[in-house]
Amino acid sequence: MRDESLELRFQRRDAVAYDAAYRAFAPRMNAAALRLLRDPEAADECVHEVFLELWRRRTAYVCERGSLEAFLVACVRNRALMRLRDGKRRSAIEQRLHVVEKYEMQTDPIERARIAQALERLTDVQGDVVVRAYFRGMTLSEVAGELGVPIGTVKGRLAAALATLRRSLIAETNDGI
Amino acid sequence: MESEPHIGDSAAAYAAGALDENERAAVAAHAQTCAACLRAIGQAEETWLALERAVEPNASYVNARRRLPFERRGIAGWWLPAIAAAAFVAGLFFAHRAPESPATLAMIQSHFSHAQFDGTPPAKVIYARDRSWYYVLVRGGGRYDVYGLRGTASRALGTTQPRGATSELFAPVHEPFDVLQLREGIRIVETARIR
Repeated sequence: MRDESLELRFQRRDAVAYDAAYRAFAPRMNAAALRLLRDPEAADECVHEVFLELWRRRTAYVCERGSLEAFLVACVRNRALMRLRDGKRRSAIEQRLHVVEKYEMQTDPIERARIAQALERLTDVQGDVVVRAYFRGMTLSEVAGELGVPIGTVKGRLAAALATLRRSLIAETNDGI
Repeated sequence: MESEPHIGDSAAAYAAGALDENERAAVAAHAQTCAACLRAIGQAEETWLALERAVEPNASYVNARRRLPFERRGIAGWWLPAIAAAAFVAGLFFAHRAPESPATLAMIQSHFSHAQFDGTPPAKVIYARDRSWYYVLVRGGGRYDVYGLRGTASRALGTTQPRGATSELFAPVHEPFDVLQLREGIRIVETARIR
């Protein structure tokens, strides 16, 4: 459930609201970054950097945009994706391969099953695009290159997938309240 | 007046972080002046969040493996406003030296580190990785003299000043210290090693 009071105070850059938002949303932000980076320390850093950057930017979040939690998760994903797309960082991550392998052995089977379940309402091509663009952090042009289709097609599939997910996942959430 | 077309299908990709840099910047710029597209992005972010929730294995897994990062490092959440304030103060300091320099601001945002002092009260130092400034925060209202040490040389940096829940000192000294000490008179209260 959204806390519109918190969102308004966060928009006004109230330090207490930042602390509350950190306590409420940092675990999920960390999970989202960790899923992309597979590096707990790097995921932590991304969360910290997002809060620090938002503190500095005066117009970063406005309530009209929507849920603060959704905004923060999107921010930390972007931060993590920037790292992933940084060649130097990619190299450093590869050097920690043993850590990555250990983490994937612990988590991937569960996550894969959950992802498959969440995406079961999508068509195969939609699910494929979501996995590549959202869970693997690929850009539309990278997905288009791998699939051999135009970027516009990938973008359309992703938008259609999101519309389906919105109907199913948001409806489930509302039904559960 | 809207000079650009609405973002349409790009909202989903934007919220997923899947746009290339140029298109991402164009969408962000349009959303700043178009409430409908800003809302479309917000809705897309909410749907991706719902997907995040759906793929989390379970609550205990999240709690066990993904504790608050500051807590995992032994740093309680009360530091966050202070750290944010430190970044802000550092920003003012650097902004004075290089006004409106995006590169400088980017450096401030990402190029600092922190170290904890080894005793009580809980205390830490946030510092620029180029050692151009140090920001000492001590929990509680005590006043402590801060010294920087490098080899056998030491330098007094100043005294922490109470400010809310913490006592703080910002020292823009441009010296590569190995160790920082908090002292009361000649007594060394606690030490932090700068890595």
